[in-house]
Amino acid sequence: MYVSTVALGACGGCEASLLAAGEPLVSLLSEHDIGFSSLLVDRRSITPSDVVLMSGCVRNAEELRLAEEVARTSRKIVAVGTCAVYGGVAGLRRLEIERSQDEDVLPRVFAEARPLDQVMSVEMYVPGCPPPTGILFETVKALMEGVQPLRHDATVCSECDRRVARRGPARAVSSSSGPASGEGVCLLNESLLCLGPVTRGGCNASCPSVGTVCSGCRGPSDAVLSSQLHSLYSDMVSCVARTTGARRDKVAAQVEGMLDVVYTYTACDPVAMFKVRGKVPRG
Amino acid sequence: MNVTGNELAGQKVRIYPVTRIQGRADIEVLFDPHHNVAEARFRALDYRGTDRMAVGMPAQRVPQVLSTACGVCGPFHKLASCMAVESACGTRVPAAAGTLRELICWLLLASSHLATITYCALPDFALPTSDAAVKNVTGIYMVDQEFVSRLSHAMTAIYDTLDIIAGNRFRIPVILPGGVSRLPAPSEIETASALLASCEDELRETVRLAEMLTRRESRMMETGTPLPGSYMCSVTDGLAALLGTEVATAPFAGGEPRALSFDEFLSSLVEEEIDWTFVKPLTVDGFDCQLVGPLARVNMGFGEDTPLAAMERARLLEQWEHPLDSEFFFLMSLALEAVWAWEKAKRLLSSISYDGECWTSLAPAAGAGRAVIDSPRGLLVHQVELDALGAVSDYRVCSPLQFNYKTLNEHLTSVAARTVGGIDIGESAAARLQMAVRSFSPCVPCGTH
Ligand code: SF4
Ligand code: SF4
Ligand code: SF4
Repeated sequence: MYVSTVALGACGGCEASLLAAGEPLVSLLSEHDIGFSSLLVDRRSITPSDVVLMSGCVRNAEELRLAEEVARTSRKIVAVGTCAVYGGVAGLRRLEIERSQDEDVLPRVFAEARPLDQVMSVEMYVPGCPPPTGILFETVKALMEGVQPLRHDATVCSECDRRVARRGPARAVSSSSGPASGEGVCLLNESLLCLGPVTRGGCNASCPSVGTVCSGCRGPSDAVLSSQLHSLYSDMVSCVARTTGARRDKVAAQVEGMLDVVYTYTACDPVAMFKVRGKVPRG
Repeated sequence: MNVTGNELAGQKVRIYPVTRIQGRADIEVLFDPHHNVAEARFRALDYRGTDRMAVGMPAQRVPQVLSTACGVCGPFHKLASCMAVESACGTRVPAAAGTLRELICWLLLASSHLATITYCALPDFALPTSDAAVKNVTGIYMVDQEFVSRLSHAMTAIYDTLDIIAGNRFRIPVILPGGVSRLPAPSEIETASALLASCEDELRETVRLAEMLTRRESRMMETGTPLPGSYMCSVTDGLAALLGTEVATAPFAGGEPRALSFDEFLSSLVEEEIDWTFVKPLTVDGFDCQLVGPLARVNMGFGEDTPLAAMERARLLEQWEHPLDSEFFFLMSLALEAVWAWEKAKRLLSSISYDGECWTSLAPAAGAGRAVIDSPRGLLVHQVELDALGAVSDYRVCSPLQFNYKTLNEHLTSVAARTVGGIDIGESAAARLQMAVRSFSPCVPCGTH
């Protein structure tokens, strides 16, 4: 089986997370063939591959060309990382490049980042910024062995050891990055905007476990994606209101002022943004 | 092989993509009318713009966004961003938080170098003449499974240590503006210490192997001219440090290092814009071109608090004189620094507190702040300006690739002039040019942040 990797508009963290698997990954790759992977092998042409792990979003003309070529020649495209799945942080702002640019010399930079499935069909999604090493490795292994990879459809909350406290006096929820003060208490009870309830799990709640909020890097949970009645915003409002005992309309107004935080990783994803279009401030 | 693609009536050859580096880039070799090499250019083809995204954001939010400037050095960007914001707000971070942050930096340096050795650098040195199908980590695995296995053990042990101490290995959630979110528990320190202790043999062995391969490589291939200009890194008391107190620079041609205060250093930085790359090269006014990163720090020297690294460095300098001024010392400097970082991490872990204050809240107000630190690939600067509401009005990142850019391209041109004979660039010349690029450990996402 031929496996390949491509990084488009990416920071390299997704690839680094995969490589952190170490020997089990090297051993697996040794049993198969690496088609093209500028990170691992010195081949320069795109050749037909069975599985392509593609990280990053489409941010410039060269990335678009590359993505289209890979889509034409390869069987299964796996969107690796939140940039590939939802556009990621690159979607936070429109990028106006400040310099005059000759497109024959350097690729044209697009103002808007695009998730992969805006330009090609994607077989599988592995979100995370970056996805945890274990999940990435297990996905690659399953695909190469021809079995279905494990789905992580629970939320971050379901993996979190923090307990929801009895309702205290309702305080305004804040998007502060400050740490937890109470031992083992749910961060929502501390009025911190933890996105655990609306975020896909699989990371063992690694941020709340060290006392910081989940910023939603694994993207929306299945529950949020399951119907048009749900959105990151509305589900978050319900959850904060339920946990803190604050009035829903009050919470809704507060969270509306923090939509850029709620949609940090999904601001250019049409599905995630469907319900809040126009409300998320973007530069 | 896709090295041709001649343009401009056969006067420009493109090698694309440059492999076994982070990010997308090419090499362009430009020829004069007689088909002699006029110039070779390493070009970054990716533009990230995270510093532009930060503008308008509340100061506290910025480190999370800047941590995605680069995937490998993301935590260093996050830390530098926190430090810049803290300095703009006049916040003093509790001492225990400072120690934990430093410990995390050393763990990251060691893990990043071990990954670079395994996947990027080793194939050039261990299998220099093999073809693409073999000259990679799987080829090395087939030749010496045991060694890859041991290297991998050290790398994963350090990643696991990071998971325990920092929350996770790539975004380091424990680091926040104002300090850290918590200190590790005694049981976590115990587990982390045991994991680190388990790497010692592997790290020593890596230095030995790097030394042996460097010796062989320097005999097998043309070693070329010495690197031009000066080396430069962050220092404390004249010795290399990740979170140092000033910057020092010394010429490869020999001579004493000169120290610059951070203010002096920042006020002498000159940034250029070139139309053929997204990287904006940086120079330090009054100096020749610079080299930052592992080789620079190894040349600057390690302290007595890391006796194993200091001893290994001294032993290597007995064979090759100081300063190490050739690209062939790249692998060895990575291996030496992995030992250095491991020793530093072990020391800090044994003295770290697990009790007490570790975070201070920020009071953002109008002001300017900056951070100058050393990261796996070299010097990294973050500068921020906040408006009266505590939102970012300007943000600037100076990354290792920007500092190295002039030196890299000057060196690449000299390698091309010696190894490329006419516009038909063959496999081995293309491989040689890419090896020259890799020895600067360029990170394209970092370079265009
Ligand atoms: S998803 Fe995160 S780690 Fe992966 S490329 Fe994007 S920014 Fe980097
Ligand atoms: S909201 Fe956050 S802190 Fe609370 S249970 Fe969910 S993940 Fe844990
Ligand atoms: S806790 Fe949230 S932000 Fe942290 S790694 Fe998990 S999904 Fe990402």
